[in-house]
Amino acid sequence: MIVLPTDNHLWGGEPNSPLVAAIHLSVRDLVRRRLVQSGLDWNAFVSGPIDDLIGQDDFAAIDAAVLATGHRYAFSATISATERPEAYQGLATLDGGFDHPDAPSAPPDAQGRALCGTGDNVVQGSDVEGVARFVRSAGQVIALMEQGIPQGSIAIIDDSGGTLTAPILNRFAGLVCAGGTVRSHLGILAREYGIPCLMNVRLAGIQDGDRVRLETGAPARTAESYLSGTEMPARIWKLA
Amino acid sequence: MTGQRPAPGPGPAPSYAQLLETNQLIQACGDMTYWLCLTRTVQGSKLFPVSAYILLSYLNAFYRYPTLIRKVEAVMPAEAIADRARQMGVKAQNSSIGWALPCFYLLGREYLINLGFLRPQDAIEDVVTVMDFWKRFQLAWHRNDGHLTNADNNQRAQILSHADVTRFAGELHKVVPGDALSVAAQRFLATVSQYGFLVSAESRISLTNSGPYRLDADRQLLMRDFMDLGETSLPWLDDIAADMPFNNLTVAMEATGCNFHLVDDWGSFEATPEFTTDRLTGIGIYASDTLSEGHVPVAMDSPEALAAMLHDLSDRAKVATDRLWMRMAGWSRDQLIDAGAISYFAICKEIAHIAGVFDPADWLEIDPRAERFRPLLSDEYADNALGELVGGISLPSQQTAPHFMMKWSDQPTRVLTPLPLSVLNGAPFMGRVAPTQPGASHLPPKNDRYRTTRGVLGLAEYNAAARSFVPARCQPGPNFTCDTTLAWPGSVE
Repeated sequence: MIVLPTDNHLWGGEPNSPLVAAIHLSVRDLVRRRLVQSGLDWNAFVSGPIDDLIGQDDFAAIDAAVLATGHRYAFSATISATERPEAYQGLATLDGGFDHPDAPSAPPDAQGRALCGTGDNVVQGSDVEGVARFVRSAGQVIALMEQGIPQGSIAIIDDSGGTLTAPILNRFAGLVCAGGTVRSHLGILAREYGIPCLMNVRLAGIQDGDRVRLETGAPARTAESYLSGTEMPARIWKLA
Repeated sequence: MTGQRPAPGPGPAPSYAQLLETNQLIQACGDMTYWLCLTRTVQGSKLFPVSAYILLSYLNAFYRYPTLIRKVEAVMPAEAIADRARQMGVKAQNSSIGWALPCFYLLGREYLINLGFLRPQDAIEDVVTVMDFWKRFQLAWHRNDGHLTNADNNQRAQILSHADVTRFAGELHKVVPGDALSVAAQRFLATVSQYGFLVSAESRISLTNSGPYRLDADRQLLMRDFMDLGETSLPWLDDIAADMPFNNLTVAMEATGCNFHLVDDWGSFEATPEFTTDRLTGIGIYASDTLSEGHVPVAMDSPEALAAMLHDLSDRAKVATDRLWMRMAGWSRDQLIDAGAISYFAICKEIAHIAGVFDPADWLEIDPRAERFRPLLSDEYADNALGELVGGISLPSQQTAPHFMMKWSDQPTRVLTPLPLSVLNGAPFMGRVAPTQPGASHLPPKNDRYRTTRGVLGLAEYNAAARSFVPARCQPGPNFTCDTTLAWPGSVE
């Protein structure tokens, strides 16, 4: 087998992700084949023919080969699974809420507060209470735009960006996000709007309509703590 | 179009000094990228396939930036562009040039090395060109604080001169927590921030901050820029943003009782104690672009006029947000990816506006050499590949000799591969990739309306006006009057 100039990296190894490793191996094999077919040395090949001899169909074939193994991609944007349901898995999980297996929990305390999650506090203020409402799809956002959002609602979101909820974000009394950091876009917007917000939340046992309390009076998580990996958990309780 | 195919190939090898300098700049970019990505990000979006569009933008940057930089520099050098940029609140600062221009290019290169498309020494002339442009821009943009990046300056961008700071501080309107101007300012900052995230397809590149500047022991000035808000050079704002009267707005913001201890190379800020709206004690607002005489005050005649303007702008931004969101919610995956990839790739398009050589075919299309990779960019693959490239630093090319201890992590890794010095021993290399090739987009083409501070212009008129205009502050005399000049009256003039 012909060896590409970049095949032998002394300390290289393989990517951590099996999917990335498999696709990169396939692409490198594609480059090898086209190099051989060109009859050129590497320097001549990389100076132009590589762009003529490797095209979109070649990459579509690699994608098809991945799917032919039975693998189905996890989606991050809803549109990806909507447009190619045969290639993606898990679209149904957008229905209802979500639970994290590693979410902390504890039985109700004397005040009837049951610990059901922790997250990173964006701005230290006061604790906030409200009614949980999951917001996970554009369809839900459109429905909320039409129906209105009851006062005191707390959005439970698994999208750390600020765009999915852009038309309605400022109408919530609190935000809980299952991803991101306090510097993610949603965290930045929460700070600008002055909305109490916990990011990077691990949460379980909450349904639409449950009353929750966010410990947004806890210290805000710092850049130094992310760098050192030191947790600064702010708690979420389900209220009786 | 910028050039015809192909005729790249080897030119002369860079000198030893060029290689050493370029490698130092590459390492600085790698260290900056790792710190920023570790402490600032982790984005997820149910609306946009973010990782897929980011990888596509990196590829587009790799294949196009060298050609486009040469086109711009044929008209105006990097340091002159930076001098203009310092007088404006446009996307020619952080993160657009300070981080994105070199790092999008270099991350595209790194990705292609891992796919077997390049050796570290391939496109060596392009790499030197991009990094040299970046260095000269940064030196000029940061000339008043004397650093190359905010990271070098303990996370600050003190880019303004004493005269600039004095001007902005003197023009501030006083804000009292809870008063009408305070309420209007908070509403505006939140609403326009949200609009900015949507305009730039779930990225923060329409917002940036610079400073801080000490006004006294208890007060600091932070400059906050909101960019690409109008119907100017992003095609998805055609019609949607026709009622936005300004494309770029700068907010001069005085805060009392907190220290902005961090303003990073992405233009994000942190304060101790946390900046909250009750600490906002002064505000001014300005419009600017490449055709304005620097920052032009907007409704600054009285606090009442300013508050009314901020509410009006908030109303317009909210309407545009809702309309744009509905437009985007109806897009296909390819359209969402293109909007994101073009937002990212064109983050530094303002250099072409300043030079008066902006062309939608250069900046608003995906080059076919990048486009061909689209079928690979499933959400899962893109999330994992991007995560390894900028977070895990776990791609093969990023592993180093075991003795090496990377800044911030101590791991034997590098985000970005240096140029090999062995080209000086005669090792073969490819000098340049082929020039920009005719591209395409799944989005409607840009209309010929460009909102500027001189009204709505056609592109030809806009470019011609930019080429013929030199702001008074950028004429040789004023441009080369600096704080050192002022500090030694009579001795250096």
